[in-house]
Amino acid sequence: MVVAVWSGKLIMLEKTKNIAKQILEEKKANGVLGLMKNQRDIVQPHVFKRLPELDALVLEPKWLLAKLSMSILRSSPEGYRLAVLCRGCDERALIELTKRNQIEKENLLTIGIACSQEQAAICLCDRPYPAKVDAGEIASGVDPFQDERVREFLIGNDKKRMEKWANVLKRCIKCYGCRNSCPICVCEPCKLEDDVWVQRGDVPAEMATFHLIRAFHLSDTCVACGACQEACPVNIPLLYLQLSMRKTLKEKYGYEAGLDPEKKSPILSDFLKEPETGREYPEWINSLREKDGH
Amino acid sequence: MNQPRILIFACKWCGLIGADAAGKKRASLPARFRVIPVECAALVEPDAILRALAGGIDGVAVLGCHSGGCRYNNANHASIKRFELLKDLLDTTGIGGERLLLSFGTAHEYHQFEEIIENFFNELAALPPLDPWLSPFGVVS
Ligand code: SF4
Ligand code: SF4
Repeated sequence: MVVAVWSGKLIMLEKTKNIAKQILEEKKANGVLGLMKNQRDIVQPHVFKRLPELDALVLEPKWLLAKLSMSILRSSPEGYRLAVLCRGCDERALIELTKRNQIEKENLLTIGIACSQEQAAICLCDRPYPAKVDAGEIASGVDPFQDERVREFLIGNDKKRMEKWANVLKRCIKCYGCRNSCPICVCEPCKLEDDVWVQRGDVPAEMATFHLIRAFHLSDTCVACGACQEACPVNIPLLYLQLSMRKTLKEKYGYEAGLDPEKKSPILSDFLKEPETGREYPEWINSLREKDGH
Repeated sequence: MNQPRILIFACKWCGLIGADAAGKKRASLPARFRVIPVECAALVEPDAILRALAGGIDGVAVLGCHSGGCRYNNANHASIKRFELLKDLLDTTGIGGERLLLSFGTAHEYHQFEEIIENFFNELAALPPLDPWLSPFGVVS
């Protein structure tokens, strides 16, 4: 069993290397962004430009490269093309960044990598593969709402959960790691640095503003990559904050961030006109029903 | 009894007229609420609602026009979706989506305004206080 897993990983790595090699040989891109293991066994992101370098290419650990791709492309001369090794979440983040005009899609090439079942379980990922899979076997998605740890935070007595959340959030040292690591958090200026919204210079961060404004701004863009949570030095389960909003968008409007490059977020559009599935009225809109004859 | 504080954002074309009429009629209303007139309910940023909750407000009401009655290109419809997501976020954290009251179109008569605010007040009074979430940098009095 262990042997099979290993050989599967080796095949995947070889396949990826071959694709990268081909891209460089055929000059489809100026560089391939991926992970490199250096002589001291330290893994770091690297733009592979020459073929011999590819020997040091590795696929693990999970490391989101979307934001890095964006800054590389921004600081590169015109016409520079970058190929990026990306997992499912990374691909979705790249699509969201493209939708928001942060990346020009002509300059980007992706090499899609499917995550292992093991990784999907760690990330509680419901879609552990990119739309375009170039290497790896597609693993099945995990429903985060079935996870006990998640349920503790999302379901049950409000008062207890309010305290539970307050207790974890008050550990925050306001390092801004959650914002900085999020592949979609790119606005400048950022409201989290504005005294009108969040008192600056004090810790812990104001909870209802700092954390919830951040979470809400990502309501329709969050790709559930978990980068915020992984970056948090005090282990606040930040991904859990996004889950219900993602679920609503999926169930009510058939929308998932990062899937369709052409599809705009439903929260930008008229409630009555689109999308089709969004036509159901929330109960709390007391008068819409009668007015529209529903 | 817990005396909740309520902040009301009222669209000047509907909600505000109701609030005004309630005032003129001397309707008896819970004392602890403030009304902020807005041009359109869609201008109320969800962030502002979070800011208010952090500052010691127990519940926020957004009163807008009915469907099809928006003066600004049905802007209130897009805002419905935003507020719905915000309710999800409030539910997630246990603060409770019910602290955000949305009413689209029922507040242009003073008795409706009165009823809405009174019900909201009673509902909020039954909720646990938001203490653990309050800003350490001062709340409204
Ligand atoms: S999981 Fe966190 S880091 Fe990833 S997109 Fe969502 S908010 Fe951003
Ligand atoms: S990463 Fe964690 S500690 Fe840092 S600002 Fe975000 S929530 Fe606070």
